[in-house]
Amino acid sequence: MAAWDLSVAVEDLGADAPPITVSVTSDLHIGGVILKLVEKSQVKRDWSDHALWWEQKQQWLLRTAWTLEKCGIQADAGLIFMPQHKPLRLGLPNGLNLRLRVCFSGTVFRTVLGICKMLNIRRPEELSLLRPVEEKKRKKVRDLSEELYDLTEVPLTSVSRPCLYNGMPAHFADSPKTEKVYKMLSVSQPAPAPEAIAKLYHPASVVDKAHIHSRWLDSSRSLMEQGVQENDRLWLRFKYYCFHDLEPKYDAVRLTQMYEQARWAILLEDIDCTEEEMLLFGAIQYHINKLSLSEPQTMTSSPAMDDLDSALQCLEVKLDGANSSPQDMLENLTAPELNDYLKIFRPKRLTLKGYKQYWFKFKDASISYYKSKEESLGEPIQQINLKGCEAAPDVNVAGQKFCIKLLIPAPEGMNEVYLRCENEEQYSSWMAACRLASKGKSLADSSFQSEVQSIRSFLAMQQTNPNTHTDDSMSINTHSLVSPRYSKKYKTKQLTPRILEAYQNVAQLSLTDALLRFLQIWQALPDFGISLVVVRFKGSRKDEVLGITPNRLIRIDLGVGEVVKTWRYNNMRQWNVNWDIRQVAIEFDGNVNIAFSCVTADCKIVHEFIGGYIFMSTRSREQSDTLNEELFHKLTGGHEAL
Amino acid sequence: MTHCRHFGLNTCYMDDIDAMFSDLLGEMDLLTQSLGVETLPPEPPSSSSKEMNFSMGFADMNVESLNELEENDLDALMADLMADLNDTEEKLGGQKEAEAPHTDLPPASHGFSFYPESSLSTPTSPERGPNTFSAPLADSPAPILSPPTLPQHAKLSMEEIEAQMKADKIKLALEKLKEAKVKKLVVKVVMHDGSSKTLMVDERQTVRDVLDNLFEKTHCDCNVDWSLSETNPELQLERGFEEHENLVDPLSAWTRDSENKVLFQERPDKYEVFKNPQNFYLWKKDKKTIKDMKDRDKELLVEENFCGTSIIVPDLEGVLYLREDGKKSWKQRLFLLRASGIYYVPKGKSKTSRDLVCFVQFDNVNVYYGKEFKNKYKAPTDFCFVLKHPQIQKESQYIKYLCCDDAWTMNLWVTGIRIAKYGKSLYENYKTSMKKAAITTAWTNRTAGTTSIPSTPSPTTKAKASGQANGHAPQPPAEPVAKVGNAPPPPPPMLPTQILPPPPPDPVLPPPPPPLANKKSPPATSVPRQLPSLPTSFPPSPTSMANLPPPPPSLSQDDSSESPPDFLPPPPPTLGFGPGAGSLPPPPPVSFLPPPPPDPGFPLPPPPPDPAFCPVTNRDSLPAPPPRQSNIGAGAPPPPPPPPSASAGLQSTPSVRRTGPPPPKRTTPPLAAPGGGDFMSELAKAMAKKRGNQ
Repeated sequence: MAAWDLSVAVEDLGADAPPITVSVTSDLHIGGVILKLVEKSQVKRDWSDHALWWEQKQQWLLRTAWTLEKCGIQADAGLIFMPQHKPLRLGLPNGLNLRLRVCFSGTVFRTVLGICKMLNIRRPEELSLLRPVEEKKRKKVRDLSEELYDLTEVPLTSVSRPCLYNGMPAHFADSPKTEKVYKMLSVSQPAPAPEAIAKLYHPASVVDKAHIHSRWLDSSRSLMEQGVQENDRLWLRFKYYCFHDLEPKYDAVRLTQMYEQARWAILLEDIDCTEEEMLLFGAIQYHINKLSLSEPQTMTSSPAMDDLDSALQCLEVKLDGANSSPQDMLENLTAPELNDYLKIFRPKRLTLKGYKQYWFKFKDASISYYKSKEESLGEPIQQINLKGCEAAPDVNVAGQKFCIKLLIPAPEGMNEVYLRCENEEQYSSWMAACRLASKGKSLADSSFQSEVQSIRSFLAMQQTNPNTHTDDSMSINTHSLVSPRYSKKYKTKQLTPRILEAYQNVAQLSLTDALLRFLQIWQALPDFGISLVVVRFKGSRKDEVLGITPNRLIRIDLGVGEVVKTWRYNNMRQWNVNWDIRQVAIEFDGNVNIAFSCVTADCKIVHEFIGGYIFMSTRSREQSDTLNEELFHKLTGGHEAL
Repeated sequence: MTHCRHFGLNTCYMDDIDAMFSDLLGEMDLLTQSLGVETLPPEPPSSSSKEMNFSMGFADMNVESLNELEENDLDALMADLMADLNDTEEKLGGQKEAEAPHTDLPPASHGFSFYPESSLSTPTSPERGPNTFSAPLADSPAPILSPPTLPQHAKLSMEEIEAQMKADKIKLALEKLKEAKVKKLVVKVVMHDGSSKTLMVDERQTVRDVLDNLFEKTHCDCNVDWSLSETNPELQLERGFEEHENLVDPLSAWTRDSENKVLFQERPDKYEVFKNPQNFYLWKKDKKTIKDMKDRDKELLVEENFCGTSIIVPDLEGVLYLREDGKKSWKQRLFLLRASGIYYVPKGKSKTSRDLVCFVQFDNVNVYYGKEFKNKYKAPTDFCFVLKHPQIQKESQYIKYLCCDDAWTMNLWVTGIRIAKYGKSLYENYKTSMKKAAITTAWTNRTAGTTSIPSTPSPTTKAKASGQANGHAPQPPAEPVAKVGNAPPPPPPMLPTQILPPPPPDPVLPPPPPPLANKKSPPATSVPRQLPSLPTSFPPSPTSMANLPPPPPSLSQDDSSESPPDFLPPPPPTLGFGPGAGSLPPPPPVSFLPPPPPDPGFPLPPPPPDPAFCPVTNRDSLPAPPPRQSNIGAGAPPPPPPPPSASAGLQSTPSVRRTGPPPPKRTTPPLAAPGGGDFMSELAKAMAKKRGNQ
């Protein structure tokens, strides 16, 4: 066979270096070409990650046993010899950017597996990559902060089984720099400035939301094949909204990033919620922020250590208890109390009376009041049981007004009572006591002190006047906890007490529980998990919206936003894509057939969404940890997979 | 303890009830007093103090309801009370056991004979719930210790012994104090046939527990639809209790003169959502699709909506009538249900989330069905539901009335609200009910087939006992057992006599098994008694059982609630005193007994664990026994091997839950003992876990 010259550019030699020319025959296999190439380059190094990329055809030549003839390569082919793993700038769900080395030659599905392994995110099939929304301005500002986090130095080979070292995967524990990256991944980010939220892109309409989904990369092709270049920016996001087997113990990063994605979806009004829900989301964010700041070490201490510690602590306590005298034990049985002069006002009775001062005693879950301290040994004027009551703040810090508004249930209805405290100190303790009592807990409850603390910090927040900026890192602008719509609607003075109110219901949660609660409420929103695509149904003249969710397809009227029809996957017989006319056809039980062409996204994306959700639903049943990649591609690949 | 007194329960009059109760309370005190009885003449002063505790305990009883009791309720009630009494005894019994000389096997008195029983059954108090196990274990150290140590003890300085005893007594007193603080209500339940039964319910019992009790007392089929509900005639409301609720809570909201009733009836709407989820989750679909739903698809729906990370609330929306505050008119509004509450669409606004106005959130309200509101409030239809704070019992502006077009819509909304409010608990309750129902069926089938009851003997009883301790989560096996346990302490009095030498007069019996009672002191318990020498006896060997007369089959069927008063525990002889005199229970008298050698045979009745750590223990307690044993090994005589199945102590199988096996013991002063066991096991567990992790 005749030998001919094949020239190949070697990327590592630099863009200006001339291509290396090797003499080949058509029956030489690709591996042979590479061997010759390496010999001729005379560079001694590890070439194992390198492969040939065929520029004109935009494809990799990864089958080293194939001959040049079989690949259809002739002398005019523009080949580049380059590494398969290259750095990529990855936008994480938390809004930060991370530079890391990813695979450019395998399918995107594979690439995501690799990324998730590196980042220690389980269930990588739920995530995918998409092209970011272009940001035109402020680009330079961004670039500065972007390079903060870099994992490109981490050797790929070291990323294997996630064995924990110091509470983090071993490959993060190598240097302080990577440890910092892990912390960024596994601890939620502080609240953004309200101005920053307002500046970020947020979809204004259903069509805007639909456009986001046109950006997903094709899971069955490689990054290079989809035109992604070294150091390009891509976003990593949870794509399929069915989170399988969430286990806080192993899922520190996954849980945190999920929370971040949910939080941003809410702050940017990507998903709608009611005012009450927004305030609760705000309260949980506040709580999470606070906990993340105050206990950054939780992530690194292992659960076993915690158990041991608490067991030891328990032991100590009990031993103490054993040594204490019976007298003490008896005393422990009697609950602590609060005693003080407060003013009371009951709007229902003769209204003009106003506040009147009495000596108040708070014990167990009830308040009693007496004419004066001296009479407090006798019968109280009245005793009010607070169990089941609602305790709301009526506070104006600037005006030094510290009132507690109590709605106390009684057989005849709710009794309204106002207690007026003199100062913050008094207010904090009494309010905390009322709050605990409303849940049936007494002052002896261990949460009392933390309750007092949180009330104080909220009071402090109200003092933070926007004009006089205080640089207290713990104080958070409540406007950064809600979406711009509510920021505009309410002043800080109005917003803060309402968030505080919602906060009462979540203040006891641990960090993990708070994250989970946030996700739960997010998932309970009616619009949760719906990915929108603008489509045109066969036989219809107008564009409509197709909502794709974990268990069903929804047809939505574009004009009104009303759900017209839903089809559940478990009634689905089959679905086909006609790749020539780019039409998706689906058949459901009972001879229901629908067909549509996709307007805002490629039909491959729709196809992949449907197949992907069906793939996700097969997971729960098999229970095994191994990922059936083949099945995924079968369900999502389309004609290319065959 | 040979002295006994009978109450003429059946003949007493209403007016006497109070007196009777106080009397009874006094008796209970005396019994609890029995600590000292064996060896020493009881000291009156101390007892009086104790008595006081009890009176505190009952202070909460709903006296009104008592007065309404019909004669025939009294027996049942007494039975309940006796159960209580028994509980206390158990504790004491255990203690006593420990104190009794090891060798005195044939117990000197009857009183003795039944202690073992009590020790077997788990203490009622704080630990409800799964931690049954841990409790007995915790105690163990003391008992084991004692046999060998007794002699040594003698060598110890008298002061030490005395101090220890003193400490013991104080502990005991504190426990009783705690127990006494438990709120109990006497509840009259109206049965589906219009008759009624009276139960005593303590504040730790869930509706599920009470239902289980009622299942035992009635012969219903135990299907999942059985429920307890409350009616409020004044407001014409009705609501089915959820099974995880503590029954006492809603009942405490009733006013003194309340006409409210508790009903025991089948309510098909209770779990309809799990049987036909499509009706709730696919209500928008056409009727045919809904009707033709395949079972597999139904399961899938339940799975989708209840088994995910978050509970999905059916997305209901529709026009409902709202009763205007204060006015007599009903106004239509478009309402939407979300997980966070009910919202309405204000005039001229869209249905988008941001425009919705919150109508009510569910944290502080319950949902009730309204009855005949057409008449009462001029409602457009009779299909109304109401949202109100459970405490509100009378007309009030804080009650929200809604009216639907038809029964179906109403059911949809009420169920939807329950899902939003209770979330996963609802599904958990349903699963528990299903298990219960399935087991009952299986059991009845089985018993029907074989009449041989003897086979059920003590293992089951034990199981029963521990099951009780496990509290609300009724374990599958518990059911069958329950029946047996329930059997009114059959020929009880006789039993002991036959087996045990000194047969003091009847009294000692395990009190009739009223609802509480069955659980707490299974009749068959006398068995363990026999085994003192065999520490490892756990499932009592058949042979040992053999000499016990099996509970008569017929009895087991019996409705235990009606058991006759004859079985009342004998009041301790001399110590009579009036009810509730003092205010705080003084510590028990110091001078009492020399440290009693514990009987190895039984675990001490655990002092009621401090409620605070119960939760911890129940989780961790299981694995505990082995490690502990190893600790012990050194100082003490070879501890009896922990019962094999014990560690499994989970709820599921009867064999697993056993109460009796003497836990390995440690050499610790009794004072530290009760708690000590717990955390040692916790510690061991934590260590084991840590090791595992590495």
